[in-house]
Amino acid sequence: MSKIKDAFWAVRNWFKKINSKITDFLVNHKMGFLVHWPDWFKALIFLAPALILLSIFIFYPIVNAFKLVIYEGYNQTDNTITGYTVFGNFITVLNEDNFLLPSSHTQSSVMINTLIIVLISVPISILLSLLIAVALNSIKPLRNFFQTIYFLPYVTNSIAIGLVFAYMFKSGDSGLINRMLGWFGIDPIAWVSNWNNNGVIIGPTFWAAMSVLIIYGVWQAMAFKIMVFLTSIQGIDKQYYQAAEIDGTPKRRIFSKITIPLISPMIFYIIITSMIGAFKTYESVIAIFGDSGAPAGATYTLKTIVFYIYDYLNNSTPGNLSLAAASSIILFAFILVLTLIQMQISKKRVHY
Amino acid sequence: MKNIYFKRYRRQELISLIFDFLAIIAYITIFLMFFRMIKLPLGEGGNVDLGALAYPQVYQWTFGEIKSETVNTVLTLMALFLVVAIPMFVIGVKKLKNGLIYDVDLPMTWAKFFQALISLLLVNPISFVIKLISTFTLLRVVKDYGFIGFIKNIPSRIKQLFEKKPKEEKEPEEEDEDTIRLKKNISRQNFRKLSRMFFTYMFLVLIALFIMIPFYWMVIASLMTYYESSVNPNPSLFLLFSDTQWINYKTVLQELNFGLYIKNTVIVALVSTAGTIITTILAAYAFAKIQFKGRETLFSILIMTMMVPGEIFIITNFITVSGNGFGWIAMGTGNNHYFLAMTIPFMTSISYIFFLRQSFKQVPDSLYRAARVDGCSDFKYLTRVMIPIASPIIFTITILNILGAWNAFIWPRLITSTGGTEGQQYWLISVALRDASFNVPGGDRIMYNLQIAASALVTVPLIIIFLVFRKYIMNGIGRSGTKG
Repeated sequence: MSKIKDAFWAVRNWFKKINSKITDFLVNHKMGFLVHWPDWFKALIFLAPALILLSIFIFYPIVNAFKLVIYEGYNQTDNTITGYTVFGNFITVLNEDNFLLPSSHTQSSVMINTLIIVLISVPISILLSLLIAVALNSIKPLRNFFQTIYFLPYVTNSIAIGLVFAYMFKSGDSGLINRMLGWFGIDPIAWVSNWNNNGVIIGPTFWAAMSVLIIYGVWQAMAFKIMVFLTSIQGIDKQYYQAAEIDGTPKRRIFSKITIPLISPMIFYIIITSMIGAFKTYESVIAIFGDSGAPAGATYTLKTIVFYIYDYLNNSTPGNLSLAAASSIILFAFILVLTLIQMQISKKRVHY
Repeated sequence: MKNIYFKRYRRQELISLIFDFLAIIAYITIFLMFFRMIKLPLGEGGNVDLGALAYPQVYQWTFGEIKSETVNTVLTLMALFLVVAIPMFVIGVKKLKNGLIYDVDLPMTWAKFFQALISLLLVNPISFVIKLISTFTLLRVVKDYGFIGFIKNIPSRIKQLFEKKPKEEKEPEEEDEDTIRLKKNISRQNFRKLSRMFFTYMFLVLIALFIMIPFYWMVIASLMTYYESSVNPNPSLFLLFSDTQWINYKTVLQELNFGLYIKNTVIVALVSTAGTIITTILAAYAFAKIQFKGRETLFSILIMTMMVPGEIFIITNFITVSGNGFGWIAMGTGNNHYFLAMTIPFMTSISYIFFLRQSFKQVPDSLYRAARVDGCSDFKYLTRVMIPIASPIIFTITILNILGAWNAFIWPRLITSTGGTEGQQYWLISVALRDASFNVPGGDRIMYNLQIAASALVTVPLIIIFLVFRKYIMNGIGRSGTKG
């Protein structure tokens, strides 16, 4: 055993000796950079795998999106174009039926749908999760238990739960939600599908279908917000509360004058990020209403901006990729504006 | 003296945990054994007859014939046992690892007693007996008497119960107005506090119901018959054990090919996660520790691209992986390499680089310099020092990335939709959930029981992973603030 060890060490020492000799030789002949790599070279080696992937799949696509947008009639299969245009693709997208403006009064447009989701589901989910976070903060026993339950929606698969929501909101008496409404004496509502008396599919009303989307959005989005609000409330210095308690301040005043102002930077951050998230709504629509983006038989559409982009992508007519690029740049513009607002205000730090 | 009993308690606890573990293995074995027994009903021509799923059947068992109702009852029981036994076991292991003698008190003794009762309900008599014994060992730690003392005390306790407490005759105190007002105030405040507590808990329970109802209904609906789930206008909100249709899961796994889709997803998740971990660790190390020109500029460029919506990438990536680029998806001409197209674009992540860099930066630079003086190369320093220090965060990233890959939908769907039936063989589960046909054979009504069973198959592993690694996942998401 010891002989093997000795042999091993001998070989090792021999290698080391040769190594150091080569190093000395190279350093003496002004080729030290081959042995002692300069920092930038080392960094390059460490960064190479990530940078190669990033430049192919992140940086190049960003540049290419702006390139695609000026192509006219780009054909993906043979990589040819018919011409160039500056704003042509944007104009086509904006003039498209139901993108910006609904084509008739029975219709809804992609932009209106997205704005409805952003402007209704974001305030509801923020208010609710703020209330929940305050309530959670005020209790001690079972707090962890509730926190775990409230966080569950975050880790679930949005397609799977979307299908469950579509099933729960099934029209007629058999849907779970309609049965629960029945306990309170409310007539069943046609949420996601509707038939008239002759058995012909006519589709539910726009707001019934939209409210399913909004309820699902709120259900999904609350988890993250509750967690962020709770951690920032717990980070508030206890002295403020003690001072308020000594003064006999009522709870409502403590909430509005201490808690809200002190976590206002966090609230603002959440407002912006969740607005961005709501702009990107896609999977909930496709999980509940399928590829058509509307209930069967409906005269309106529930598509969102992202849904529109993927519609272009799935349809391989020449020129469609440019239109997809144009609409995704429009989406990017919205997000950019929101992010810039956030950066401006967080510089000033919102307080009071 | 107390210490001796506490040590004895720990020994007993260890033994009972071993038996709990054996019981869990037994439940799993029984569950799998009975689940394998289920046979899909065959129609004419040897194809599976989806219309006959709900009919009661008789299966072959090594011990003779067995009715499908019995099989369903056993499967439901085992599933319930597992739901109770595994968390109890995990909590028990944690308590055994971190338990101190100072934690022992009367409530803990009671908790042990209830655990013993639960073990009895789980048909685990050995654990029950050992836990009962350890209850009395705990009693010895808390109070001075053990089992015999407890028995001896019983008569006197019963006496105490029946003996009427002598009424304390109070002298009516002389109270002035101030005291009365103060007392009223205090009782009013107490009432207000209690009612506020009550409403807080009511509110929290209501919200918890709102969150949990979809999960409950998913589990119940996935075990219904087709008639009950899709046709019956008045489906029941609960199921009897014998009415649970575990055959739905078997159908989804075998006939609707979800076994294959789950395998695909696991492969994609593991490969892309391995790639992500390697590239992000290397890049984060370079950004955190190696000095080079333009480091901050490069890093802020990376951060800036984080706000670009994913749709912009997907449009070009679709061109990149198809015929004119790498040719991984051939769109009908040539060979397809769906797995390459599904994993390689996701083998790095800017948010994880950002996240890891933060934790690498917390390691003091002096450690790095000392290692360099001792002749440690950068790579060695990374693997021997940095990775062990940052291992909790690397673990968090791993879990978050696996969860993300499990839920991936848009890109895999786009990729596989170009390939027709060959593409279907490479579906990931989310894609299959949306695009597989759950319709009644020959009709256009959806078999909701099968669809929801497939949803449950996707959701249950996620929930298990979340509950097991809750701390890591919540910390990770709280700190990085980005969606997986």
